Amino acid sequence: MDYSEAANRISRKFAQGGQTPDVTKIEGKLRRLVDEFGVQPSEAERSVTSELAKEYNLPAPGSGGSSGAGGSGGGTQEKKIAEGVPGEWVTIEGKIVALSAPASASIAQSGIIADDSGAIRFVVWAKSNAPAMAEGSWYRIESAVMDEYKGVANLKVHSGTTIKEIAEDRSLIPTPTPIKDLRPGIGGVRAKFVQEWEANHERMLQSGLLGDETGTIKFVIWKEPGKEKLVPGAVYNIFYAQVDEFNGRLSLNLNAATILQEEGEIAVSGGEAAFTGAIVHIAPGSGIIKRCPVEGCNRALSRQNYCPVHEIQPKFVYDLRIKGWLDDGEKTHNVLIQRDVVEALTGISLAKAQEIAENNPLGMDEVFLQMRDAVLGRYITCHGREIDGRLLVNKCEKVAFSTGDHTALLNRAGGAPS
Amino acid sequence: MSTNARDMPRREGQFEREPARRVFAAELRECRYQFKDGEDEKSPTFVLLPSGERSNRIFIVGTLTEKTRQGEQNMFYRGRVVDPTGTFFVMAGSYQPEAMQQLAKIEPPQFVAVIGKASIYQKDPASAPLVSVRVESITVVDKDTRDLWVLDAAMHTLDRVDAFAKEPTPDILKAKEQYPTIDPSLFRKIAYDALAQIKM
Repeated sequence: MDYSEAANRISRKFAQGGQTPDVTKIEGKLRRLVDEFGVQPSEAERSVTSELAKEYNLPAPGSGGSSGAGGSGGGTQEKKIAEGVPGEWVTIEGKIVALSAPASASIAQSGIIADDSGAIRFVVWAKSNAPAMAEGSWYRIESAVMDEYKGVANLKVHSGTTIKEIAEDRSLIPTPTPIKDLRPGIGGVRAKFVQEWEANHERMLQSGLLGDETGTIKFVIWKEPGKEKLVPGAVYNIFYAQVDEFNGRLSLNLNAATILQEEGEIAVSGGEAAFTGAIVHIAPGSGIIKRCPVEGCNRALSRQNYCPVHEIQPKFVYDLRIKGWLDDGEKTHNVLIQRDVVEALTGISLAKAQEIAENNPLGMDEVFLQMRDAVLGRYITCHGREIDGRLLVNKCEKVAFSTGDHTALLNRAGGAPS
Repeated sequence: MSTNARDMPRREGQFEREPARRVFAAELRECRYQFKDGEDEKSPTFVLLPSGERSNRIFIVGTLTEKTRQGEQNMFYRGRVVDPTGTFFVMAGSYQPEAMQQLAKIEPPQFVAVIGKASIYQKDPASAPLVSVRVESITVVDKDTRDLWVLDAAMHTLDRVDAFAKEPTPDILKAKEQYPTIDPSLFRKIAYDALAQIKM
């Protein structure tokens, strides 16, 4: 095999996307796969290509190079699931790993199909008259369409698609993805159930936080016959969960996932963090707020005591919080400070704030103003958990003047000018 | 072809707030060059510090020594905030009603913390350019906070001066081009003098 030619071919594919992979590195990887591990040259090329694609977070480019001119223009190419690009017609072979209840009468079947490269959600339109597929069986699906629905790749089976059951009986063992690397689509994790949240919707069976060594992610299980709750504190291998994105945040929908409990233990990264800086902004919605009293809701109410879910709630409960920005001169951190910390920091207790809110002509605004004047521009250190780029502060202290720092800086400034 | 799926509006990366730079008055007043990062109407405007760092927002703590109300229809407040190295000219107009109300309430002299955006303007082509700070927020603070800020500003100034002497970033190269007569090691001396003014 001519390694340098293959390496150049791979690098050209990425060069089109504006990336500049290291050709000698590619060549080395190919050589290693072929010489040392006896991999077929075409397979080596494919695997190096998809490894690079993953590295650059790109959908894998079509395996054009080595497989030759397979399909003519507009035809469908046989693909691995992970290589599909939205907008393409594809033919794939895979195993049905999950079936879920169709969301609408125009859908005959929906679920998740997987091969050893990955997994994708599929939808079979009722109009397609396709044969029903069974969970656990392998199928060859010809001329289906890859597209994107709510930012997640999807395989559509329409009337022009042919489905054939094939004799395959391999079990697929997907490798779990570190939580911080999850992307919208279908994903698997090995994670610990670190925190259970109250279900805030009647259709919800359970929600909470899963964590691994790299981070945490919210999950949800909707009520459905046969669904069971997870056990807090247990470690699970979760395959084929749906990774959704909402407002830039990811969450896992476990309804169609395969969940296996295991014995191991995971040192969850709690996202513990501490930042020191000056408070440079206090956002609206800080100060004293009203929360929805419905059990498990706790949402902040509008001025008219309106909860987005439970409507008017005259029997609200008061709470204190500060939403703001802590700035160290290089980076600004979004912080959310909870009640007891707000009380300590501002010297205004919840009872005092409530008294001000109910008796001052400015009402709740007066609490905001007093708290702003008490903390804005002050140097503090905040400790807490960082979730989705926001620090949930559970402890904080004012920075004290340090003569040690002062002397050190004097020495540094007084040192010989460079 | 069904490329439409790709054209769906997708959210851009998460919003990053511009950090508030710490800079002494003696350095800020030397700024002559400001630029916009990007073509968009809402792209941030930056003032280039002579020590080679761009600043959109700044955080200063000093003594408000003077404030004046100006204008009839379009009323605004001007103020002078003094640090150990010089004077910041701050202003808050009707586009910053919250800042204007805060400034209106403060009776000088007081230690104040100011978050704002620096900009360079000239009264007329003949006069010298002036750097002023449009206030986003101003609050009364204590002397401890002022002293902490002097340490903070000195540290960041020294960091910038040290970086300037090392590997040049695009902003450092730009600063060398825009401020050929300014030697940033001058700001090391200024930082030292500022630190020396803090009484133990």
